[in-house]
Amino acid sequence: MVGGFRWAAMFPDEVWEHVFSFLPADADRNAAALVCRAWYRIERRSRWRVFVGNCYAVEPAAAVRRFPEVRAAAIKGKPHFADFNLVPSDWGGGAEAWVEAMAEGWPHLEELRLKRMVVSDDCLELIARCFKNFKVLSLVSCEGFSTAGLAAIAANCRNLRELDLHENEVEDNCLHWMSHFPESFASLVTLNIACLEGEVNVSVLERLIGRCPNLKTLRLNHSVPLERLVGLLHRVPQLVDLGTGKFAAQHHPELFSKLESAIAGCKNLKSLSGFWEAGPTYLPAIYSVCEGLTSLNLSYATLQGPELIKLISRCKNLQRLWVMDLIEDDGLIAVAASCKLLQELRVFPSDPYGAAQPISLTEHGLVAISAGCPMLHSVLYFCRQMTNAALLTVAKNCPNFTCFRLCIMEPHTPDYITRQPLDAGFSAIVESCKHLRRLSLSGLLTDLVFKSIGASANCLEMLSVAFAGDGDAGLHYILSGCKNLRKLEIRDCPFGDKPLLDNAAKLETMRSLWMSSCSVTLGACRQLARKMPLLNVEVINERKRGLPLELQPDNCPVEKLYIYRTVAGPRSDTPSCVWILR
Amino acid sequence: MELELGLALPGSDRTPELGVHGEKRASLCRKRGVDEMLAKATLPLFIQKDNDEDGDDDSRQSKHLQELNFSGSRVLVGWPPVKMWRRKSDDCGRRRANCVKVNMEGVAIGRKVDLCLHDSYQALFLTLGQMFPKKQHDGEESDAAYYKVTYEDEDGDWMLVGDVPWELSVLKHQHKKAK
Repeated sequence: MVGGFRWAAMFPDEVWEHVFSFLPADADRNAAALVCRAWYRIERRSRWRVFVGNCYAVEPAAAVRRFPEVRAAAIKGKPHFADFNLVPSDWGGGAEAWVEAMAEGWPHLEELRLKRMVVSDDCLELIARCFKNFKVLSLVSCEGFSTAGLAAIAANCRNLRELDLHENEVEDNCLHWMSHFPESFASLVTLNIACLEGEVNVSVLERLIGRCPNLKTLRLNHSVPLERLVGLLHRVPQLVDLGTGKFAAQHHPELFSKLESAIAGCKNLKSLSGFWEAGPTYLPAIYSVCEGLTSLNLSYATLQGPELIKLISRCKNLQRLWVMDLIEDDGLIAVAASCKLLQELRVFPSDPYGAAQPISLTEHGLVAISAGCPMLHSVLYFCRQMTNAALLTVAKNCPNFTCFRLCIMEPHTPDYITRQPLDAGFSAIVESCKHLRRLSLSGLLTDLVFKSIGASANCLEMLSVAFAGDGDAGLHYILSGCKNLRKLEIRDCPFGDKPLLDNAAKLETMRSLWMSSCSVTLGACRQLARKMPLLNVEVINERKRGLPLELQPDNCPVEKLYIYRTVAGPRSDTPSCVWILR
Repeated sequence: MELELGLALPGSDRTPELGVHGEKRASLCRKRGVDEMLAKATLPLFIQKDNDEDGDDDSRQSKHLQELNFSGSRVLVGWPPVKMWRRKSDDCGRRRANCVKVNMEGVAIGRKVDLCLHDSYQALFLTLGQMFPKKQHDGEESDAAYYKVTYEDEDGDWMLVGDVPWELSVLKHQHKKAK
């Protein structure tokens, strides 16, 4: 600060606020807030959108105090590996503390987006009661609530625009929750109930959407039969995003033509999903809208290759495609020929645990897509075989990848032709894709791949590693390189204490580190916790045998380790299987 | 067949590969190994021993063996990384067809009907009416009501379809006949 001269006073606060409103990213606003006390004060009063990547990184009350004018908040809870059952169910991530603090300090809150958190019905009732102008509720991968909680939201949020429930575990105890939307309620723009398992009263739904002229997104759940879809679509021809319910019924020509014309009547459809139990019978009913589609999610449909090809080759403007591996290489070759605007591809395994019938989805499909789709930048690909040569080709074809997640389903699978590790292939990816932000590794990998990643992956923010590496050097390469790394998650790798202790400072520059089934000892965790007061070092030990953790010796192996930076100190809601070391 | 001798942990692949730095690397052979491993009493000793050593390869392998041993099955927790929610949806998303064979008297080739796609007898009869040719009777087409649909029950008796409530009858996966 220039001595004495308060240059920030050159303009009134409102002018600076207006200037700050042009800063798009939180990181930029954070930087501005550090310039001087005046800017800190002005910026904090004018920030209205807050993102909390780890709900335990800061005390809710502190966040609410610092930014009093927030209208939109997004908060994330459990570590990503909770999606795959690696995190104990009682680990934490409860939303109450946040919702209570927000109810107290942000009565004007309009938007709340929670991911991987435990949200109780009490939380939902608090939200429904306390935020008078509440508009957007988005719950992704959450649990702990029921349709009774949804009834409270429906009854009280008079201005609700979005109810977006994505892949949540919802208990079904209130069949008629949707009837709680008052007759005067007409403001819905987005209704996504795809994750609800119970029956939906379709007549109530019809009346609800019939009075919401701004409805753009409607994603139904599996219980809505195909026959009722026709009636629903007639009420919302302005729909842009549709998630069907069950997409199967015995063949009746009348139903087919009604469905076909109802779908064709939705002239603005850009996105389709749902398709539970879809078979070849009714799929052609959507052909008329294929040309306009930018997003297609067929990942719940066990459609076979030929049907998929017939459908997808009509979707010339597709930007996002999610599909099962039943599409096989031939199907992906057809996609590569037809969908030249494709940006994101996800191929999910139809049979992850067996090898029931060998599916012909191999590295060839991935190579074909990389060659045919010049705008491709995001891939999630589950397969059973891979070669370095294929990965080298993909790297050369697609230097613009921002997200590359490859899952070769059998751990330690080498290049099936050369029997070599896949180091060369993944190294090519990170060396070619200079904007890569997210990477998931699989297959047989040595420390060499980590050397390449540490050296080349300068934009990498999230790295997922499983069954890879030879020893400590692998982890050391990552932690001493990857200057933008925010999240690192590792399972079943021979990484031990040394790289953690040697790179302790790095951990404070990251949001979090997860390590499970590695070679870390309790002693190293204790040392790390002592050395780094701004980290919470959580040791998770689910197999309760022998002494409690405080009395275990330093060489006791740690099953699961979760380390994250925080200004809130140790949390107070740890279950019995979690110890926070100090 | 070539005879190869090698040093490796029990249950692991008989042909150990050389790793990048020349060290022995035995890859796990899941499909063959599990029964052998669970039967061998010496296995726990190997695990103890490996924990004392610093060998990185060995500790990795012993962890896998531990997973296989403690869980008793060969499925790793959380692998492949498919979301729990997606797995659940797949289970109910898969069509559980409840198909029955239907033959019509005088028609050589039968049809199959998926009872799961029907919610009532009316719906079933409508479908059957569409599947089978209408019989000509004095020059006019007769209706579907002319037909009797019967099924063979567990005692081998031919019974008329329609007496038992639909929900209960769907549970019986029987051969139907249209006369």
